Amino acid sequence: KITLPPLTNSFFFLYDSSKVQEEVDLTRDGIYYFSPEDTPIDQQELLCGQLAGVCRCVSELSSSPVRLLHLRKSKYAVRMKDKFLWALSCVVDIPDVSVCDLLDQLIALFCFYNGPVRQSYQLYSKQELALRWARYLCHLQGGSTELHHIFSCLRTIDSTHIDPLLLLKAALILQACQRCPLVLAGCILYRGRVVSTQMPPALTVKVMVYETQTYSQDFQVTANGLSSLVGSPFSSTATTQVFLMPTELHMLRCPPVDRACRSHCNQPPCQPSRSRLLSRTLSDTPTTDTDSSMPSSPRSSLSDELCFSPSPSRVNTPIHSNLMNQSEYFTPDSHVHSTSNGTNLCAVEEHLAGLNINQIKSEENKLDANNHVTNKNGNGETEEEAKTKSKQINRKLKEKNEPTNTPSPHETLEDTSLVPLVLYQHRVKGLVLALLVEPEFITDHSAREEVHHSSLASLNGLEAHLRNTSPGTPGPPGPYTFAHYDCIQNTLTTNVCGRSVGPQDQAFVKATKLVHSHFSRLDTLQEAIVRNASSAVYGTRTTAQETYFLQQGTPVRNSGSPDPQDSAFSLPRKARLRLLKHGVNLL
Amino acid sequence: MKCLLLANESAEVLFYWTDTEFEQRVQEQYGVSQEEGERLPAFEDSINTLFAPIIISCSTMVDRLGDNYTSFSTENNHIYVLHQFEECLYIAVNGDGDETEEDLKRKIFVMKKLTEIMFGMVTFSGALLRKELRPQDTEQRNRLWKKLRSLLETYSRLRENDQSFLVEAVERLIHPTLCEQCIEFLERRLVQQINSNMDRMGEEVLHAFILVHTKLLAFYSSRNASNLYSSDLLALIILVQDLYPSKINLDETSEELESSSVPEVFYTPEPSPPERESVRQRGDSPPVFQFVDPDVQMAEDSLQTLEAPTPDPSAPSRVFLESKECPMPHSMYCLPLWPGITLVLLTKIPNSHVATSVCYFLEAFVKLEKRLCEGHEGAAAMRGQPSVQEQRSRLEKLIKTWAGMDIQTSQLQNAWTDFKNKAFSRSGSGFTRDLLPSCRNMKTQLCGVYRQFFAAECMGSSQRLAPHLQERALSMVQEKLMDWKDFLLVKSKRNITMVWSLVATAQRYLQKGYATVTLRDGDYFYCYFLWFENETGYKLEVIDIPSSPDDGAPVGMLTCDYYRKLLRYYSKKHQNEVVKCYELFTVHLGVIPNEYILQHCSQLARKLWEPTRIPLL
Repeated sequence: KITLPPLTNSFFFLYDSSKVQEEVDLTRDGIYYFSPEDTPIDQQELLCGQLAGVCRCVSELSSSPVRLLHLRKSKYAVRMKDKFLWALSCVVDIPDVSVCDLLDQLIALFCFYNGPVRQSYQLYSKQELALRWARYLCHLQGGSTELHHIFSCLRTIDSTHIDPLLLLKAALILQACQRCPLVLAGCILYRGRVVSTQMPPALTVKVMVYETQTYSQDFQVTANGLSSLVGSPFSSTATTQVFLMPTELHMLRCPPVDRACRSHCNQPPCQPSRSRLLSRTLSDTPTTDTDSSMPSSPRSSLSDELCFSPSPSRVNTPIHSNLMNQSEYFTPDSHVHSTSNGTNLCAVEEHLAGLNINQIKSEENKLDANNHVTNKNGNGETEEEAKTKSKQINRKLKEKNEPTNTPSPHETLEDTSLVPLVLYQHRVKGLVLALLVEPEFITDHSAREEVHHSSLASLNGLEAHLRNTSPGTPGPPGPYTFAHYDCIQNTLTTNVCGRSVGPQDQAFVKATKLVHSHFSRLDTLQEAIVRNASSAVYGTRTTAQETYFLQQGTPVRNSGSPDPQDSAFSLPRKARLRLLKHGVNLL
Repeated sequence: MKCLLLANESAEVLFYWTDTEFEQRVQEQYGVSQEEGERLPAFEDSINTLFAPIIISCSTMVDRLGDNYTSFSTENNHIYVLHQFEECLYIAVNGDGDETEEDLKRKIFVMKKLTEIMFGMVTFSGALLRKELRPQDTEQRNRLWKKLRSLLETYSRLRENDQSFLVEAVERLIHPTLCEQCIEFLERRLVQQINSNMDRMGEEVLHAFILVHTKLLAFYSSRNASNLYSSDLLALIILVQDLYPSKINLDETSEELESSSVPEVFYTPEPSPPERESVRQRGDSPPVFQFVDPDVQMAEDSLQTLEAPTPDPSAPSRVFLESKECPMPHSMYCLPLWPGITLVLLTKIPNSHVATSVCYFLEAFVKLEKRLCEGHEGAAAMRGQPSVQEQRSRLEKLIKTWAGMDIQTSQLQNAWTDFKNKAFSRSGSGFTRDLLPSCRNMKTQLCGVYRQFFAAECMGSSQRLAPHLQERALSMVQEKLMDWKDFLLVKSKRNITMVWSLVATAQRYLQKGYATVTLRDGDYFYCYFLWFENETGYKLEVIDIPSSPDDGAPVGMLTCDYYRKLLRYYSKKHQNEVVKCYELFTVHLGVIPNEYILQHCSQLARKLWEPTRIPLL
C-alpha cells in the first residue's frame, strides 16, 4: 500500500495518453507534468494511469469528456482535450464549481504565455515547462484565503485606505496609454494586486502572473542587496509574447463601447441599477432582469445591454467557468475596482519568498527567449534583440513542426485559434503598468517612447503615493462577518481575515461554500438563510454579485421550530444596513 | 438514459437495469465497432465489457490508495455514482438530467435495501450473494432480474409521484374513528382467528396492516412481535405496490376532488405529469437479452411461455425484516381487498429462531476476522467475546441439531472441522492471521445454512397459511370496510403529487448540519425546519447536528433510517424523555412578506401536532 501525502497539498497533472497506447508503453512516458514533483514515480503512474483509464472509459460511454471525478477523500477537476488530460485535486468540501474554475484558469494561464500545449511541448522540454506549470500553480493556489479560492477571484488593493483620486489617476494613466493605437488595453498593479484594469478579469489574472514573476526577481535583487545593482533601475520595462483567444482579442480590438465615451464611464456600468432581490413581481426572473434593469441609464445603448446580459450558457451548464463566461459579456472599460481588505498581501509576499526564486530566475533567463527584461536606458539595443529573438522563435517553431506528422484537424484548429500579442510591462518599484499591445509595438520605437514617456512621471507619482499610504491596519472586526463577490469584475470584499480563522469564521466559510455551490447549480435561486444551532448565514445574489453575511455571536437560542422571532430571519435587514459602509448596496 | 448495475470484485455483473435509451446507446456503440456482418454481442456482455475498466479501476484504487471513486460527471452532464458495499460495487448512471447525484446515490441505497429485504443475511457473503443474484439457471435468473427491475421501477415511480416516497415517511389516512375500529378488528377478530387456527402451518401472524394505495389506514402488531421499523415498512409498501400497482388516473382524481364537498380542502394539487409509459414498458416488453446461441434462444422462447403463468396467488413472499439481533425471515401475504386497498399480513415462520443463532455465530466470526486482520493474536483475538470453549460447544451442539433438520450441513461440518483443527489443535496455527481463510469459510457456510433455512425457493411451496384461511381473512376485512371503500379511495388521493426540489435541497443542507433553511427561488419562497419535541409537545432546544460525509448514506428513512440515528444522537442529552423529531416544508409565493410567511409556518407547526394523537404503531 502506498500512503499519499495529505491532500491539502493537492495533486495536479498533465497526461498525454497518445504516448501510452501500446502494451509496452510506460505510463511515465505520458506524464508531462506532475505536482507535487517529489511524488514517487510509481504513485504518479498509479494515479495518472487509473484516472486516465477511468476517464477514458466514462467519456466513451457518455460520448463526452469527464469534467469532475469524486473520490471519498478528494475530488478532481478534469479537462480532456486532444488526448491530453489535466487533473487538479482538492479536498472534498471545496465547491465543484471552484475547483473546475481553478483548473481552467491554470490551463488558460499556460496557453496565454506559451501558446497551444502540444506546440509548447514540441518547442520546449518537459523540464522547462514543468517550471512554468509550477509557477502558474503557485500563483493560483498561493497567498490567498479559502474564500478567494472558492470564488477564484482577483486580488485587488484595499481601496478603503486609498484616496479615490489615486484610483482615478490610475485609470487616467491607462487611458492615456491607449492614445497609442497599438495599445489595446492595460492594467496597473501594485505589489501583486490590481489597482485599476481595463481588461476582463480572466485576462487580468493572466497578466498578473508575469507581474509577480518579474516582481519576484526584483524582490530577490533587493533582498540580496547586491551592490553591483545599486543605481540599477527600480524602473524598468519588459516585454513578452503572449497568446490570446480570438474572443478575448475581439473584445480588445473592437470594444462594444466607443472609445470616445470611455472617459465618462468611470462608474461601473455593469452593476444593474436595481437589485432583483427586492422585486416582488412574479415575472422577475434573472433572464428578463437585465433588460428591464437599466431603463433609465442615460447612455444606454443597445450594445451595452447586450454586453451585460448573462451569457446564455450560464443557464444550461451547471458547471461553468465563471471567468470564461464573464469574458463574453465584459467590456474593456476603465473600472475602478472594488477591493478586498489588506489581509492577503503578507501572504503573497511570503509565498513569493517561498518560491525557489533562484532556480526559477536562472531557468527563466535561459529559456525565456521571447521574454526579456530591459533597462530603461537600453531600449535601442533590446529592440533589435527582440526582433532577432522573435525570428529565432519562429524558425524554431517551424523546424519543430515540420518533422512531426500532420496534426489532427482538431489540433490544427486549436493551434491557429490562439493569436500572438505582446505584453508590455513598465515597472516602477512595486508599481507595474502592464499593457497588451499589438506585436508591431516592439519594433515601433516611437510608439514605445511615447507610451513610456507619457506614463513615466504619472507612474512615479502614483507609486510614491501608494507607497506612502499606510497599508491600513484592519479595523477591529465588526460584530459580523461578510463576503461580497462581484461576479463581473471578479473581485472579493470581505472582512474574514486570512490568518486568524476563528470558529465563527469557519462556520461562515462552511456555509458560504454550500450556498455558493447551490447558487452555481441553480440560476433562479436568489437568497438563502441557513442555520444550525450555533450560527446563521445569509446569502444573496444577483447576476452581478454574491453576498454572504453572518452576525457574530450565537443566535438567540430557540427550538429550531418555525419562529418569526428567530434572529436568523433578521439577517437580510442587518446585512443591508451593515454592509452599506463597505460599499455593498443590497437595496 | 439510465442504468444501474451491481458487480463483484472480479468485474462480474451480478445484476443490471437499464432504460431503453441506455440500451440503445450501448448497442449503437457496439454496432459502430462491429465488423460488417458480425452479430452484436449479447447485451449483457456489452454491459460487462463497457463497465469492466471502471470496476477494475475501483478495486485498484481501494487496494493501493485506500480510496475509491464516488462519482464522475461529464461535460454533457452525465452522472455516474459509485458505491461499494462490502464486496459488491453498485454503479448508477444518468444521462438525461432527470436525476441528480443525490438521487442516484439514493437509488443505490434503495437497491441495497431491497436486496436485504429479499435475501436477508445472505447479502453478508459476497459469494452467496453472487449465487443468489446470478443463478446459474438462465430461466431462474431472468425471473429474478425481472422482479428486481420491476421493484426498482416501482420505487422510481413512487419517488416521482408519491409524496410519502419523496420524503420517505409513512403517510397515514387520518380518520380517528375508522382507524381505531380497524385496529380493534385486526386484533380481536382477524389475527386472533388466524393464530388459533390449525391450518396456519406453524406460522403466526405478527403484524397486520391495511394500505390504501401507499397510505396506511391501520396497523396492528401482536404482543410478542418485535418492532417493525419504518424503513422496512416503506420497503414493504414498495413490494406491495409492485404486486398491485396503483393506477393513478389523474382525470378521475381531480373529478373526484371536485365533486367531494369536504370543506377542509384548501390545496388543490397541480396535476402531476401522467404516469410515464416508458417506465412501465419493460414489464411487457420481451427481455433485453439477445442470445447468439440458437439453443439458448430457444430456451429463451420457451421461457417466455413459461414466464406467463399466473403467479400462485396464495404463495407468500419471503421478506427479511430488521430486528435487534439480525434480519429475521418472515412471510408476507398481500391480500388485495379492492384495487388500491390491500391487507398485508406478516407472519413468523417455523424455525425462524435458527436465524438468531446463525446470526450470533456469524457475528462472532466477523468480529474474530476483524481482530485477526488488525493483527491481534491468541486470546487478544477473542477479546470482547464469551469464553471460547463455551462458544465452541454451543456451536457443536447447534450443528448437530441442524444436521437432524433435513438440511445440507456437510460443508458446514467440514468447514468447522477445518477451523477447529487450525484453531484448537497443537499442530494448527492457533488464533493467528493464518486462521483467516477458515474464519471466512465459516462465515460463508453459516450464511449458507441460513439460506437453506429461509431462502424462498428452499422453503418448499407448501409452507404457507392454508389458502382457505387467507380467503377467510380477505372476506372478513372486505366485509368490514365495504361501506368505507369509496371514501377511502378518494381520501387517499388527496394532497398528492407535490414534487418539491425543496426536499432534496433541505436534505442536502441537513446532511451538512443545517436544520433551518429558507430559500427565495424564482417566484417562490421555500422554508424548511427540523426540530425536536418531547412527548407532550414541548419544543426542545436545538442542538448542533453532526454533518455527515458526502459518501455516507443519504438522509432519509428508507435507506438507512437517518432520523432514527438522529433521535438516538439527540436522546443522549435527554435520556429521561421520549424525543420526537419533526420536519416542516413549506412553499409560499415570493410576493408575501417574510414576516407573514414565518408566522404562517409557526402556526402550521403548532397545528400539525394535533392530529397525531391517533394510535399508531
